[in-house]
Amino acid sequence: MSGAVTIHIRLRRDEDAARLTTFELPEPSVAGISAESWSGASVSTALQYLQRAVDPGLAYSLSCRRGLCDTCAMRIDGVVTTACTVPVHDGMVIEPAKPGIFLRDTIVELSLVRKARIGPEGQQGPVAHD
Amino acid sequence: MFRGTRQGLGCFVGWGSLMDHWDVIVIGAGGAGLTAARHARAEGASVLVINKSFVGRSGATITSGGGISVAGETLVKLGYDVDGGDTEENFIHDTIRSGHFLNDQRLVESMVVGVGEEVSYLRDKGVRIGVTKKAPGHSSGRGIHITGPDMQRAVTSIAVKAGVRFREDFQSAGLLTHDGAVVGVAGLDRRTGEVEAIHGRTVILATGGTTSNWRLRTAPEELTGDGHAMALAAGAELIDMEMLQFLPCCLVAPEIWRGLQFPWTIGPQAGVRAWLLNKYGERFLARWDPERMELATRDVVAAASATEVLEGRGSPSGGVYLSWAHLPRDVIDNFPRWSKSYSMDWRWQGFDMNPLIDRIRAGYAIEVAPAAHFSLGGIRIDVDGATGVPGLYACGEATGALHGGNRLSGNAGSQMLVQGRQAGLAAARAAKSNTPPVTGQNWAELKETIEAPARRDRGIVPLEVKQRLTGLAETALAPVRNGVMLGKALEELRDIARNALPELANRTSDPGYNRDWSDALECQASVPVIEAALLGALNRTSSLGAHQRHDTTGSRPERLTHSITSRQGDELVYKAEPVKFSLLAPAA
Repeated sequence: MSGAVTIHIRLRRDEDAARLTTFELPEPSVAGISAESWSGASVSTALQYLQRAVDPGLAYSLSCRRGLCDTCAMRIDGVVTTACTVPVHDGMVIEPAKPGIFLRDTIVELSLVRKARIGPEGQQGPVAHD
Repeated sequence: MFRGTRQGLGCFVGWGSLMDHWDVIVIGAGGAGLTAARHARAEGASVLVINKSFVGRSGATITSGGGISVAGETLVKLGYDVDGGDTEENFIHDTIRSGHFLNDQRLVESMVVGVGEEVSYLRDKGVRIGVTKKAPGHSSGRGIHITGPDMQRAVTSIAVKAGVRFREDFQSAGLLTHDGAVVGVAGLDRRTGEVEAIHGRTVILATGGTTSNWRLRTAPEELTGDGHAMALAAGAELIDMEMLQFLPCCLVAPEIWRGLQFPWTIGPQAGVRAWLLNKYGERFLARWDPERMELATRDVVAAASATEVLEGRGSPSGGVYLSWAHLPRDVIDNFPRWSKSYSMDWRWQGFDMNPLIDRIRAGYAIEVAPAAHFSLGGIRIDVDGATGVPGLYACGEATGALHGGNRLSGNAGSQMLVQGRQAGLAAARAAKSNTPPVTGQNWAELKETIEAPARRDRGIVPLEVKQRLTGLAETALAPVRNGVMLGKALEELRDIARNALPELANRTSDPGYNRDWSDALECQASVPVIEAALLGALNRTSSLGAHQRHDTTGSRPERLTHSITSRQGDELVYKAEPVKFSLLAPAA
């Protein structure tokens, strides 16, 4: 067995319809990943590899890499979880956590300070203060 | 048009308009930044917190072990049942001794004296607080405990309630200046791809450490030292950048577990007598600390492990072995019964660690190595967080010299709270007397630099440069260093600065969520940050705390000095400056 696996990611950019796209991951040593098989690498690592080597436009979030910050929350095989703690397996399906709050590809709106936010995507006017 | 009051938003007329300004802009939304923001609001300032990604879901605070050091006598005054015989003076002395006297003693005193008030505030806000009975390296229990996620949640909600405003997914890349004073920040809105100027009367850098420039690290993804690079460019100094704390006994493989300090926490850190072995099976700590062996302080364990690797006695994945095989299996099986950090199902943080525990039970050793953990050096500040550049303040792990050459557990938590307060108060007060900011004179130039990777049709892929940079830091600025490797690394770094940075190009033209663009800006920040560390490491030719030189024989220089780096034109320059011992001098 070669150690290569296939994964499916629901990509969505701008107003395009979401589409499930299939990606081949070469065996980890070829991808420059220090694991004997993809089961020793996380979904976040796979996304990093794909953005680096295959699809430069692929969007994902990642911070703590240990399941604490939840910024990499996405739907993996139907279950919403943190991509950094889930090992890759052949045939897995990766989607945004919730279609309604999608921003781009796997990134969804997870802001904890939305009501206090300013800027192009936040509140457009001055905010009442206490 | 909205006209804000001094308590409100300032004159806010449109995004990117040069007429907008805030009293205080805080860059970074971890514990230090949000504590600064709260205190600045309490002084009546309008406060904007800018964060590279989601507020409350990034930065090192969340990943912190949660310790906050407080002197016993302070805790007793707060009503805790602890050893009241532990004085503030003891705490100051422990911190300075453990820092190998390289600490800025005024910063130490400020932290020790100031932390009680912050803890009291958090407790009154209903934050869950545990009491630490025995803290490693401290001469007493000395401290409390708030888990990283709890702390981040608390400071976020407190800041929101205080009326702080936020800008998320905004990657700050340069400080706007006018006649030498800082008047705001320029950066990239990662969602839209807009490059914008945001003006403020004062700016506080709370961007965290520089540990993401190393490959094996405990730290999150985004800590490239953006604040350090911006501070240097604006005329501030960096201090003791060669001082980086490594946490020993972190996992090196497989990829999904890289950098986890799990083995350390079920081994030496918990007092469990696991053995560190080299490829011959020798307990090499016998050469470093024959009495305490694996229970030696973490700087010693890190340096010893790295030396084995450097001298060719490491394990296949570039680490050393941590073994429990000499212990009966019951020691491992019963560990969760008395450990507060573990449940019987061996879940740790977001991971199921059963496969690793099964290997340990089967008698295998685990490959471990020291991982970049905490930046001891950083932006030079005084006790008010002032950098010396008008309008520019800094706090938390982004700053340097509080911990000296080694950091005691729990002291980062105290630093974050006290320095956050000091910088927040000082910036808010300065903002009252500052004249409203005028347009940064360097805005056009900054905009040009930030947009450059998006304008180039072809060039170098930013991530490739990022990987060169992390490889270089990992090798040359390892826990054990030598002059030849440091010199080579400096040469390569300057080559990257000359030939690669000006060629960085995004591979896609889509402006929003363009990771290549973010990587390019992080590369631009990392280069001077790594250079400052290399200059410090090259010039500190003897070993001290976290900085271990493999090519010297431990003779101490006559005078202990700080490594100071600053920017003079296009160059970074180094100078040594004698350490002041205002409270405690090393024994002659």
